[in-house]
Amino acid sequence: MSMAAGFLGGAKDRLLPASIPFRFFLSAAAFHILAWAVLFMGADQVAGFSGGTGPVLAAIHLATLGVFSMTAIGASYQLFPVVTGRALARTWPVRLSFWFLLPGIILLAYGMGLGTSLFMQTGAVLVTVGLVMFAFVMAGNLSRAAGSMPVVAAHGWAALVALIMFAGLGLALIWDFEVGFLADHSGLAILHMIMASFGFMGLLVGGLSLILIPMFVLTRSLGNRPGWVQLALAGLALVCFSIANLMEIPALNWLAVLAGLITAGTYIWQMRKAQAASMRKRLGLSFILIRSSWGLLILTLVIGGVIQAGLPIPNAPALFGFALLAGWLLTFLTGVLQRIMPFLASMHASGMSGLPMLMSELVVETPLKIHAYSHFAALALVGAGIVLDMTVLVQLGAVSGTIGALAFLAFALNVVLKLRASQQGNRDIKRGKRQSSRARK
Amino acid sequence: MINTPPGKSWRDGEGLHVDTRGLSPPDPMVAILWHLEQPGEQGPVIAYLERNPIYLLPELAERGWKWDITDNTPGAVRLILRAEK
Repeated sequence: MSMAAGFLGGAKDRLLPASIPFRFFLSAAAFHILAWAVLFMGADQVAGFSGGTGPVLAAIHLATLGVFSMTAIGASYQLFPVVTGRALARTWPVRLSFWFLLPGIILLAYGMGLGTSLFMQTGAVLVTVGLVMFAFVMAGNLSRAAGSMPVVAAHGWAALVALIMFAGLGLALIWDFEVGFLADHSGLAILHMIMASFGFMGLLVGGLSLILIPMFVLTRSLGNRPGWVQLALAGLALVCFSIANLMEIPALNWLAVLAGLITAGTYIWQMRKAQAASMRKRLGLSFILIRSSWGLLILTLVIGGVIQAGLPIPNAPALFGFALLAGWLLTFLTGVLQRIMPFLASMHASGMSGLPMLMSELVVETPLKIHAYSHFAALALVGAGIVLDMTVLVQLGAVSGTIGALAFLAFALNVVLKLRASQQGNRDIKRGKRQSSRARK
Repeated sequence: MINTPPGKSWRDGEGLHVDTRGLSPPDPMVAILWHLEQPGEQGPVIAYLERNPIYLLPELAERGWKWDITDNTPGAVRLILRAEK
Protein backbone atom coordinates (compact mmCIF):
# COMPACT_ATOMS: atom_id res chain seq x y z
CA MET A 1 0.00 0.00 0.00
CA SER A 2 1.56 3.22 -1.05
CA MET A 3 -1.19 5.61 -0.07
CA ALA A 4 -0.67 7.07 3.37
CA ALA A 5 -4.36 7.88 3.69
CA GLY A 6 -5.17 4.18 3.91
CA PHE A 7 -6.71 1.86 1.40
CA LEU A 8 -9.44 4.28 0.40
CA GLY A 9 -6.80 6.71 -0.71
CA GLY A 10 -8.79 9.93 -0.53
CA ALA A 11 -12.10 8.47 -1.68
CA LYS A 12 -13.79 9.17 1.60
CA ASP A 13 -15.64 12.13 0.15
CA ARG A 14 -17.78 9.68 -1.81
CA LEU A 15 -18.01 7.19 1.04
CA LEU A 16 -20.15 8.54 3.86
CA PRO A 17 -19.01 7.89 7.42
CA ALA A 18 -20.10 4.34 8.27
CA SER A 19 -22.35 5.58 11.07
CA ILE A 20 -24.67 7.28 8.55
CA PRO A 21 -25.88 4.39 6.38
CA PHE A 22 -25.65 1.93 9.26
CA ARG A 23 -27.91 3.95 11.56
CA PHE A 24 -30.60 3.76 8.87
CA PHE A 25 -30.02 0.04 8.24
CA LEU A 26 -29.97 -0.94 11.92
CA SER A 27 -33.15 1.05 12.56
CA ALA A 28 -34.75 -0.75 9.62
CA ALA A 29 -33.77 -4.10 11.14
CA ALA A 30 -35.29 -3.09 14.50
CA PHE A 31 -38.52 -1.77 12.91
CA HIS A 32 -38.73 -5.06 11.02
CA ILE A 33 -39.20 -6.90 14.34
CA LEU A 34 -41.74 -4.36 15.58
CA ALA A 35 -43.76 -4.56 12.35
CA TRP A 36 -44.27 -8.34 12.64
CA ALA A 37 -44.88 -8.17 16.41
CA VAL A 38 -47.54 -5.47 16.05
CA LEU A 39 -49.13 -7.41 13.18
CA PHE A 40 -49.45 -10.32 15.63
CA MET A 41 -51.32 -8.04 18.03
CA GLY A 42 -53.80 -7.11 15.31
CA ALA A 43 -53.98 -10.55 13.71
CA ASP A 44 -57.79 -10.76 14.04
CA GLN A 45 -58.20 -7.56 11.99
CA VAL A 46 -55.77 -8.38 9.17
CA ALA A 47 -58.05 -10.31 6.77
CA GLY A 48 -60.82 -7.74 6.81
CA PHE A 49 -58.57 -4.68 7.00
CA SER A 50 -59.74 -1.78 4.88
CA GLY A 51 -58.23 1.19 6.71
CA GLY A 52 -58.71 2.96 10.03
CA THR A 53 -56.47 3.23 13.08
CA GLY A 54 -55.39 0.18 15.08
CA PRO A 55 -52.51 -2.29 15.19
CA VAL A 56 -52.75 -3.23 11.50
CA LEU A 57 -52.29 0.38 10.38
CA ALA A 58 -49.42 0.71 12.88
CA ALA A 59 -47.78 -2.49 11.56
CA ILE A 60 -48.11 -1.25 7.97
CA HIS A 61 -46.32 2.02 8.82
CA LEU A 62 -43.65 0.29 10.88
CA ALA A 63 -42.92 -1.71 7.72
CA THR A 64 -43.28 1.04 5.12
CA LEU A 65 -41.65 3.93 6.95
CA GLY A 66 -39.62 1.96 9.46
CA VAL A 67 -38.15 -0.72 7.24
CA PHE A 68 -38.60 0.38 3.64
CA SER A 69 -37.99 4.13 3.91
CA MET A 70 -35.10 3.76 6.34
CA THR A 71 -33.43 1.23 4.02
CA ALA A 72 -34.13 3.23 0.88
CA ILE A 73 -32.97 6.51 2.40
CA GLY A 74 -29.79 4.99 3.86
CA ALA A 75 -28.98 3.34 0.53
CA SER A 76 -29.83 6.46 -1.48
CA TYR A 77 -27.50 8.66 0.58
CA GLN A 78 -24.69 6.22 -0.18
CA LEU A 79 -25.50 5.29 -3.79
CA PHE A 80 -26.79 8.43 -5.49
CA PRO A 81 -23.38 10.15 -5.19
CA VAL A 82 -22.04 7.19 -7.23
CA VAL A 83 -24.79 7.65 -9.81
CA THR A 84 -24.37 11.41 -10.06
CA GLY A 85 -20.58 11.43 -9.71
CA ARG A 86 -20.93 14.13 -7.05
CA ALA A 87 -20.36 13.78 -3.31
CA LEU A 88 -23.13 15.00 -0.97
CA ALA A 89 -22.56 18.69 -0.35
CA ARG A 90 -22.80 18.29 3.45
CA THR A 91 -23.63 15.50 5.86
CA TRP A 92 -25.37 17.32 8.72
CA PRO A 93 -28.80 17.38 6.98
CA VAL A 94 -28.34 13.66 6.35
CA ARG A 95 -27.80 12.99 10.06
CA LEU A 96 -30.56 15.40 11.05
CA SER A 97 -33.09 13.74 8.73
CA PHE A 98 -32.52 10.50 10.65
CA TRP A 99 -33.22 12.21 13.98
CA PHE A 100 -36.56 13.47 12.65
CA LEU A 101 -37.50 10.14 11.10
CA LEU A 102 -36.66 7.82 14.00
CA PRO A 103 -38.82 9.38 16.74
CA GLY A 104 -41.40 10.39 14.13
CA ILE A 105 -41.97 6.82 12.99
CA ILE A 106 -42.18 5.56 16.59
CA LEU A 107 -44.70 8.24 17.58
CA LEU A 108 -46.73 7.83 14.40
CA ALA A 109 -46.98 4.05 14.77
CA TYR A 110 -47.78 4.33 18.49
CA GLY A 111 -50.49 6.88 17.76
CA MET A 112 -51.93 4.79 14.94
CA GLY A 113 -51.96 1.66 17.09
CA LEU A 114 -53.86 3.39 19.89
CA GLY A 115 -55.82 5.81 17.71
CA THR A 116 -54.32 8.82 19.55
CA SER A 117 -54.43 11.94 17.39
CA LEU A 118 -51.74 13.87 19.25
CA PHE A 119 -49.11 11.15 18.80
CA MET A 120 -50.16 10.51 15.21
CA GLN A 121 -50.00 14.19 14.30
CA THR A 122 -46.69 14.84 16.07
CA GLY A 123 -45.20 11.71 14.51
CA ALA A 124 -46.53 12.61 11.06
CA VAL A 125 -45.01 16.11 11.24
CA LEU A 126 -41.61 14.76 12.34
CA VAL A 127 -41.64 12.09 9.62
CA THR A 128 -42.63 14.64 6.99
CA VAL A 129 -39.80 16.98 8.04
CA GLY A 130 -37.34 14.06 7.85
CA LEU A 131 -38.62 13.04 4.41
CA VAL A 132 -38.51 16.61 3.11
CA MET A 133 -34.91 16.94 4.34
CA PHE A 134 -34.06 13.75 2.49
CA ALA A 135 -35.80 15.14 -0.61
CA PHE A 136 -33.74 18.36 -0.41
CA VAL A 137 -30.45 16.50 0.02
CA MET A 138 -31.26 14.23 -2.91
CA ALA A 139 -32.52 17.06 -5.11
CA GLY A 140 -29.30 18.96 -4.39
CA ASN A 141 -27.21 15.97 -5.38
CA LEU A 142 -29.30 15.05 -8.44
CA SER A 143 -29.28 18.64 -9.73
CA ARG A 144 -25.45 18.55 -9.83
CA ALA A 145 -25.42 15.17 -11.62
CA ALA A 146 -22.41 14.65 -13.85
CA GLY A 147 -22.54 10.88 -13.99
CA SER A 148 -23.17 8.73 -17.00
CA MET A 149 -26.38 7.24 -15.62
CA PRO A 150 -29.12 9.78 -16.36
CA VAL A 151 -31.81 7.12 -16.30
CA VAL A 152 -31.03 6.22 -12.67
CA ALA A 153 -30.99 9.91 -11.73
CA ALA A 154 -34.36 10.36 -13.49
CA HIS A 155 -35.82 7.51 -11.41
CA GLY A 156 -34.54 9.42 -8.35
CA TRP A 157 -36.32 12.62 -9.44
CA ALA A 158 -39.58 10.72 -10.10
CA ALA A 159 -39.32 9.04 -6.69
CA LEU A 160 -39.00 12.46 -5.06
CA VAL A 161 -42.20 13.62 -6.79
CA ALA A 162 -43.97 10.51 -5.47
CA LEU A 163 -42.52 11.23 -2.01
CA ILE A 164 -43.99 14.73 -1.94
CA MET A 165 -47.37 13.31 -3.02
CA PHE A 166 -47.52 10.46 -0.51
CA ALA A 167 -46.21 12.61 2.35
CA GLY A 168 -48.74 15.37 1.62
CA LEU A 169 -51.58 12.86 1.36
CA GLY A 170 -50.38 11.17 4.54
CA LEU A 171 -50.51 14.41 6.51
CA ALA A 172 -54.00 15.17 5.20
CA LEU A 173 -55.22 11.68 6.09
CA ILE A 174 -53.85 11.94 9.64
CA TRP A 175 -55.64 15.25 10.25
CA ASP A 176 -58.77 13.87 8.63
CA PHE A 177 -59.03 11.27 11.41
CA GLU A 178 -59.74 14.16 13.79
CA VAL A 179 -61.26 16.88 11.63
CA GLY A 180 -63.02 14.86 8.93
CA PHE A 181 -62.56 17.30 6.04
CA LEU A 182 -61.79 14.82 3.24
CA ALA A 183 -64.68 13.75 1.01
CA ASP A 184 -63.19 10.34 0.22
CA HIS A 185 -60.80 9.25 2.98
CA SER A 186 -60.50 5.62 1.87
CA GLY A 187 -59.92 6.51 -1.80
CA LEU A 188 -57.14 8.92 -0.86
CA ALA A 189 -55.70 6.36 1.57
CA ILE A 190 -55.37 3.91 -1.34
CA LEU A 191 -53.72 6.60 -3.48
CA HIS A 192 -51.35 7.38 -0.57
CA MET A 193 -50.41 3.68 -0.32
CA ILE A 194 -49.85 3.30 -4.06
CA MET A 195 -47.75 6.49 -4.25
CA ALA A 196 -45.64 5.38 -1.27
CA SER A 197 -45.14 1.76 -2.36
CA PHE A 198 -45.16 1.70 -6.16
CA GLY A 199 -44.29 5.40 -6.48
CA PHE A 200 -41.55 6.30 -4.02
CA MET A 201 -40.26 2.82 -3.18
CA GLY A 202 -40.95 1.27 -6.59
CA LEU A 203 -39.13 4.02 -8.48
CA LEU A 204 -36.15 3.90 -6.12
CA VAL A 205 -36.02 0.11 -6.35
CA GLY A 206 -36.38 0.24 -10.15
CA GLY A 207 -33.73 2.92 -10.55
CA LEU A 208 -31.13 1.77 -8.02
CA SER A 209 -31.49 -1.85 -9.21
CA LEU A 210 -30.08 -0.72 -12.58
CA ILE A 211 -26.76 -0.09 -10.83
CA LEU A 212 -26.98 -2.35 -7.75
CA ILE A 213 -27.91 -5.65 -9.37
CA PRO A 214 -25.13 -5.51 -12.04
CA MET A 215 -22.73 -4.53 -9.23
CA PHE A 216 -23.84 -7.42 -7.03
CA VAL A 217 -23.75 -10.07 -9.77
CA LEU A 218 -20.71 -8.49 -11.48
CA THR A 219 -21.79 -7.82 -14.99
CA ARG A 220 -21.75 -4.94 -17.45
CA SER A 221 -24.00 -1.94 -16.83
CA LEU A 222 -27.44 -2.29 -18.33
CA GLY A 223 -28.21 -0.11 -21.33
CA ASN A 224 -30.08 3.13 -20.72
CA ARG A 225 -32.94 2.55 -23.18
CA PRO A 226 -34.85 -0.23 -21.33
CA GLY A 227 -34.46 1.84 -18.17
CA TRP A 228 -36.16 4.82 -19.84
CA VAL A 229 -38.98 2.54 -21.07
CA GLN A 230 -39.34 1.21 -17.52
CA LEU A 231 -39.53 4.74 -16.11
CA ALA A 232 -42.05 5.95 -18.71
CA LEU A 233 -44.32 2.96 -18.13
CA ALA A 234 -44.10 3.30 -14.35
CA GLY A 235 -44.99 6.98 -14.65
CA LEU A 236 -47.93 6.12 -16.92
CA ALA A 237 -49.20 3.51 -14.43
CA LEU A 238 -48.99 5.95 -11.51
CA VAL A 239 -50.63 8.82 -13.43
CA CYS A 240 -53.47 6.55 -14.66
CA PHE A 241 -54.06 5.23 -11.16
CA SER A 242 -54.09 8.76 -9.71
CA ILE A 243 -56.55 10.08 -12.31
CA ALA A 244 -58.74 6.99 -11.98
CA ASN A 245 -59.04 7.56 -8.24
CA LEU A 246 -59.22 11.35 -8.09
CA MET A 247 -61.65 11.75 -11.00
CA GLU A 248 -63.50 8.48 -10.45
CA ILE A 249 -62.75 6.92 -13.83
CA PRO A 250 -62.39 3.23 -12.86
CA ALA A 251 -61.63 2.13 -16.44
CA LEU A 252 -58.25 3.90 -16.20
CA ASN A 253 -57.31 1.45 -13.44
CA TRP A 254 -57.08 -1.21 -16.17
CA LEU A 255 -54.50 0.88 -17.99
CA ALA A 256 -52.63 1.35 -14.68
CA VAL A 257 -52.57 -2.43 -14.05
CA LEU A 258 -51.49 -3.15 -17.63
CA ALA A 259 -48.74 -0.48 -17.57
CA GLY A 260 -47.67 -1.76 -14.15
CA LEU A 261 -47.37 -5.31 -15.46
CA ILE A 262 -45.32 -4.23 -18.50
CA THR A 263 -43.12 -2.07 -16.23
CA ALA A 264 -42.51 -5.07 -13.96
CA GLY A 265 -41.82 -7.26 -17.03
CA THR A 266 -39.30 -4.75 -18.40
CA TYR A 267 -37.60 -4.51 -15.00
CA ILE A 268 -37.42 -8.26 -14.47
CA TRP A 269 -36.16 -8.81 -18.03
CA GLN A 270 -33.27 -6.44 -17.37
CA MET A 271 -32.49 -8.04 -14.02
CA ARG A 272 -32.53 -11.54 -15.53
CA LYS A 273 -30.28 -10.32 -18.34
CA ALA A 274 -27.80 -9.01 -15.78
CA GLN A 275 -27.92 -12.26 -13.86
CA ALA A 276 -27.45 -14.38 -16.97
CA ALA A 277 -24.13 -12.61 -17.68
CA SER A 278 -22.94 -12.76 -14.06
CA MET A 279 -19.22 -13.20 -13.37
CA ARG A 280 -19.98 -14.30 -9.82
CA LYS A 281 -20.15 -18.05 -9.46
CA ARG A 282 -22.31 -18.11 -6.34
CA LEU A 283 -24.97 -15.47 -5.78
CA GLY A 284 -26.02 -16.86 -2.40
CA LEU A 285 -29.07 -16.56 -0.22
CA SER A 286 -29.63 -12.88 -0.86
CA PHE A 287 -30.45 -13.62 -4.48
CA ILE A 288 -32.99 -16.26 -3.53
CA LEU A 289 -34.83 -13.46 -1.74
CA ILE A 290 -34.28 -10.94 -4.53
CA ARG A 291 -35.44 -13.34 -7.25
CA SER A 292 -38.47 -14.38 -5.18
CA SER A 293 -39.40 -10.72 -4.77
CA TRP A 294 -39.64 -10.37 -8.55
CA GLY A 295 -42.21 -13.18 -8.65
CA LEU A 296 -44.09 -11.61 -5.75
CA LEU A 297 -44.18 -8.27 -7.60
CA ILE A 298 -45.96 -9.95 -10.52
CA LEU A 299 -48.30 -11.77 -8.11
CA THR A 300 -49.17 -8.42 -6.47
CA LEU A 301 -50.08 -6.87 -9.81
CA VAL A 302 -52.13 -9.92 -10.79
CA ILE A 303 -54.08 -9.65 -7.52
CA GLY A 304 -54.60 -5.95 -8.36
CA GLY A 305 -56.03 -7.01 -11.73
CA VAL A 306 -58.26 -9.58 -10.04
CA ILE A 307 -59.64 -6.88 -7.71
CA GLN A 308 -60.24 -4.60 -10.69
CA ALA A 309 -62.06 -7.41 -12.52
CA GLY A 310 -64.23 -8.04 -9.47
CA LEU A 311 -63.34 -11.73 -9.31
CA PRO A 312 -64.27 -13.37 -6.01
CA ILE A 313 -61.03 -13.88 -4.06
CA PRO A 314 -61.78 -13.66 -0.33
CA ASN A 315 -60.27 -10.59 1.33
CA ALA A 316 -58.51 -9.59 -1.88
CA PRO A 317 -57.66 -6.00 -0.79
CA ALA A 318 -55.83 -7.24 2.32
CA LEU A 319 -54.10 -9.93 0.26
CA PHE A 320 -53.01 -7.29 -2.27
CA GLY A 321 -51.56 -5.09 0.46
CA PHE A 322 -49.76 -7.99 2.10
CA ALA A 323 -48.31 -9.28 -1.19
CA LEU A 324 -47.16 -5.76 -2.06
CA LEU A 325 -45.55 -4.85 1.25
CA ALA A 326 -44.39 -8.09 2.88
CA GLY A 327 -44.16 -10.06 -0.37
CA TRP A 328 -42.43 -7.82 -2.89
CA LEU A 329 -40.82 -4.96 -0.98
CA LEU A 330 -39.82 -6.61 2.30
CA THR A 331 -38.42 -9.67 0.51
CA PHE A 332 -36.43 -7.52 -1.93
CA LEU A 333 -35.07 -5.12 0.67
CA THR A 334 -33.94 -7.78 3.14
CA GLY A 335 -32.19 -9.49 0.22
CA VAL A 336 -30.43 -6.25 -0.74
CA LEU A 337 -29.56 -5.33 2.85
CA GLN A 338 -27.77 -8.62 3.45
CA ARG A 339 -25.48 -7.85 0.51
CA ILE A 340 -25.01 -4.15 0.98
CA MET A 341 -24.25 -4.16 4.73
CA PRO A 342 -21.17 -6.43 4.62
CA PHE A 343 -20.03 -4.69 1.42
CA LEU A 344 -20.12 -1.23 3.01
CA ALA A 345 -18.67 -2.51 6.28
CA SER A 346 -15.80 -4.13 4.41
CA MET A 347 -14.87 -0.77 2.89
CA HIS A 348 -14.90 0.94 6.28
CA ALA A 349 -13.33 -1.85 8.33
CA SER A 350 -9.70 -1.98 7.33
CA GLY A 351 -7.92 -4.61 9.36
CA MET A 352 -4.43 -4.61 10.91
CA SER A 353 -2.89 -4.72 7.43
CA GLY A 354 -4.70 -1.57 6.31
CA LEU A 355 -6.63 -3.70 3.81
CA PRO A 356 -10.43 -3.95 3.88
CA MET A 357 -11.85 -6.81 5.90
CA LEU A 358 -13.07 -9.64 3.73
CA MET A 359 -16.82 -9.54 3.16
CA SER A 360 -16.93 -13.26 3.91
CA GLU A 361 -15.50 -12.54 7.39
CA LEU A 362 -18.35 -10.16 8.12
CA VAL A 363 -21.23 -12.49 7.26
CA VAL A 364 -22.67 -15.16 9.53
CA GLU A 365 -24.82 -17.49 7.44
CA THR A 366 -26.99 -19.08 10.16
CA PRO A 367 -29.09 -16.02 11.06
CA LEU A 368 -29.63 -15.35 7.37
CA LYS A 369 -30.85 -18.91 6.80
CA ILE A 370 -33.21 -18.63 9.79
CA HIS A 371 -34.47 -15.32 8.42
CA ALA A 372 -35.09 -16.72 4.93
CA TYR A 373 -37.00 -19.80 6.12
CA SER A 374 -39.02 -17.80 8.65
CA HIS A 375 -39.77 -15.03 6.16
CA PHE A 376 -41.10 -17.38 3.49
CA ALA A 377 -43.10 -19.32 6.11
CA ALA A 378 -44.56 -16.01 7.32
CA LEU A 379 -45.58 -15.03 3.79
CA ALA A 380 -47.31 -18.38 3.22
CA LEU A 381 -49.05 -18.47 6.62
CA VAL A 382 -50.29 -14.88 6.68
CA GLY A 383 -51.32 -15.11 3.01
CA ALA A 384 -53.32 -18.28 3.75
CA GLY A 385 -54.72 -16.70 6.93
CA ILE A 386 -56.03 -13.74 4.90
CA VAL A 387 -57.66 -15.87 2.20
CA LEU A 388 -59.16 -18.37 4.68
CA ASP A 389 -59.95 -15.65 7.23
CA MET A 390 -58.19 -17.64 9.97
CA THR A 391 -56.67 -15.50 12.70
CA VAL A 392 -54.53 -18.36 14.02
CA LEU A 393 -52.70 -18.64 10.68
CA VAL A 394 -52.02 -14.89 10.67
CA GLN A 395 -50.72 -15.18 14.24
CA LEU A 396 -48.46 -18.11 13.36
CA GLY A 397 -47.19 -16.20 10.33
CA ALA A 398 -46.51 -13.09 12.42
CA VAL A 399 -44.58 -15.20 14.97
CA SER A 400 -42.55 -16.72 12.14
CA GLY A 401 -41.93 -13.24 10.69
CA THR A 402 -40.81 -11.99 14.12
CA ILE A 403 -38.36 -14.89 14.49
CA GLY A 404 -36.98 -14.12 11.03
CA ALA A 405 -36.69 -10.43 11.86
CA LEU A 406 -34.84 -11.21 15.12
CA ALA A 407 -32.40 -13.40 13.17
CA PHE A 408 -31.94 -10.60 10.65
CA LEU A 409 -31.15 -8.14 13.43
CA ALA A 410 -28.57 -10.61 14.79
CA PHE A 411 -26.92 -10.67 11.34
CA ALA A 412 -26.95 -6.86 11.14
CA LEU A 413 -25.57 -6.42 14.66
CA ASN A 414 -22.79 -8.89 13.94
CA VAL A 415 -21.72 -6.84 10.90
CA VAL A 416 -21.79 -3.60 12.89
CA LEU A 417 -19.95 -5.06 15.91
CA LYS A 418 -17.17 -6.42 13.68
CA LEU A 419 -16.94 -3.06 11.94
CA ARG A 420 -16.67 -1.24 15.28
CA ALA A 421 -14.10 -3.70 16.61
CA SER A 422 -12.01 -3.20 13.49
CA GLN A 423 -12.25 0.60 13.68
CA GLN A 424 -11.38 0.51 17.40
CA GLY A 425 -8.38 -1.74 16.60
CA ASN A 426 -7.16 0.78 14.02
CA ARG A 427 -7.49 3.64 16.49
CA ASP A 428 -5.49 1.65 19.07
CA ILE A 429 -2.75 0.93 16.51
CA LYS A 430 -2.55 4.63 15.54
CA ARG A 431 -2.40 5.67 19.21
CA GLY A 432 0.34 3.10 19.86
CA LYS A 433 2.36 4.40 16.89
CA ARG A 434 2.02 8.01 18.07
CA GLN A 435 3.14 7.08 21.57
CA SER A 436 6.18 5.10 20.38
CA SER A 437 7.15 7.93 18.00
CA ARG A 438 6.95 10.43 20.92
CA ALA A 439 9.00 8.08 23.09
CA ARG A 440 11.74 7.90 20.41
CA LYS A 441 11.91 11.71 20.25
CA MET B 1 -20.56 -14.93 -18.48
CA ILE B 2 -18.96 -11.96 -20.25
CA ASN B 3 -16.94 -12.81 -23.37
CA THR B 4 -15.38 -9.41 -23.96
CA PRO B 5 -14.82 -6.99 -21.09
CA PRO B 6 -15.78 -3.32 -21.23
CA GLY B 7 -13.01 -0.74 -21.73
CA LYS B 8 -9.62 -0.98 -23.44
CA SER B 9 -6.64 -3.18 -22.60
CA TRP B 10 -3.11 -3.76 -23.90
CA ARG B 11 0.02 -5.47 -22.69
CA ASP B 12 3.59 -4.12 -22.69
CA GLY B 13 6.78 -4.55 -20.68
CA GLU B 14 5.17 -3.00 -17.60
CA GLY B 15 2.33 -5.51 -17.55
CA LEU B 16 -1.33 -5.57 -18.59
CA HIS B 17 -2.94 -2.14 -18.88
CA VAL B 18 -6.72 -1.82 -18.39
CA ASP B 19 -8.24 1.56 -19.20
CA THR B 20 -11.77 1.98 -17.80
CA ARG B 21 -12.06 5.76 -18.12
CA GLY B 22 -15.39 6.91 -19.56
CA LEU B 23 -17.28 3.78 -18.49
CA SER B 24 -20.49 3.79 -16.40
CA PRO B 25 -20.52 2.03 -13.03
CA PRO B 26 -20.12 -0.89 -12.48
CA ASP B 27 -18.24 -1.40 -15.77
CA PRO B 28 -14.81 -0.26 -14.47
CA MET B 29 -15.01 -2.82 -11.65
CA VAL B 30 -16.28 -5.53 -14.00
CA ALA B 31 -13.54 -4.84 -16.57
CA ILE B 32 -10.73 -5.03 -14.00
CA LEU B 33 -12.07 -8.15 -12.28
CA TRP B 34 -12.61 -9.83 -15.68
CA HIS B 35 -8.93 -9.41 -16.53
CA LEU B 36 -7.79 -10.54 -13.08
CA GLU B 37 -9.84 -13.72 -13.43
CA GLN B 38 -8.22 -14.78 -16.70
CA PRO B 39 -6.19 -17.99 -16.27
CA GLY B 40 -2.57 -17.33 -15.35
CA GLU B 41 -2.99 -13.62 -14.66
CA GLN B 42 -0.83 -12.66 -11.69
CA GLY B 43 -0.12 -9.02 -12.55
CA PRO B 44 1.14 -6.45 -12.58
CA VAL B 45 -2.11 -5.07 -13.94
CA ILE B 46 -2.14 -1.31 -14.36
CA ALA B 47 -5.70 0.02 -14.11
CA TYR B 48 -6.76 3.51 -15.20
CA LEU B 49 -9.95 4.92 -13.70
CA GLU B 50 -11.76 8.23 -13.38
CA ARG B 51 -12.32 7.92 -9.65
CA ASN B 52 -10.92 6.04 -6.71
CA PRO B 53 -12.67 2.67 -7.04
CA ILE B 54 -14.11 2.36 -3.54
CA TYR B 55 -16.44 -0.49 -4.50
CA LEU B 56 -13.70 -2.48 -6.23
CA LEU B 57 -11.35 -2.74 -3.26
CA PRO B 58 -13.36 -5.25 -1.16
CA GLU B 59 -13.64 -7.45 -4.27
CA LEU B 60 -9.86 -7.30 -4.79
CA ALA B 61 -9.26 -8.22 -1.15
CA GLU B 62 -11.72 -11.13 -1.45
CA ARG B 63 -9.79 -12.45 -4.47
CA GLY B 64 -6.36 -12.08 -2.86
CA TRP B 65 -5.06 -9.17 -4.95
CA LYS B 66 -3.12 -6.26 -3.49
CA TRP B 67 -2.93 -2.78 -4.95
CA ASP B 68 -0.92 0.41 -4.98
CA ILE B 69 -2.70 3.64 -5.84
CA THR B 70 0.10 5.37 -7.75
CA ASP B 71 -1.96 8.34 -8.88
CA ASN B 72 -5.06 9.59 -7.11
CA THR B 73 -5.86 12.60 -9.33
CA PRO B 74 -9.61 12.73 -10.12
CA GLY B 75 -10.03 11.78 -13.78
CA ALA B 76 -6.68 9.98 -13.89
CA VAL B 77 -6.56 7.49 -11.03
CA ARG B 78 -3.95 4.76 -11.56
CA LEU B 79 -3.71 1.49 -9.66
CA ILE B 80 -1.10 -1.26 -9.90
CA LEU B 81 -2.51 -4.65 -8.99
CA ARG B 82 -0.59 -7.81 -8.11
CA ALA B 83 -1.79 -11.23 -7.01
CA GLU B 84 -0.73 -11.99 -3.44
CA LYS B 85 1.83 -14.75 -3.31
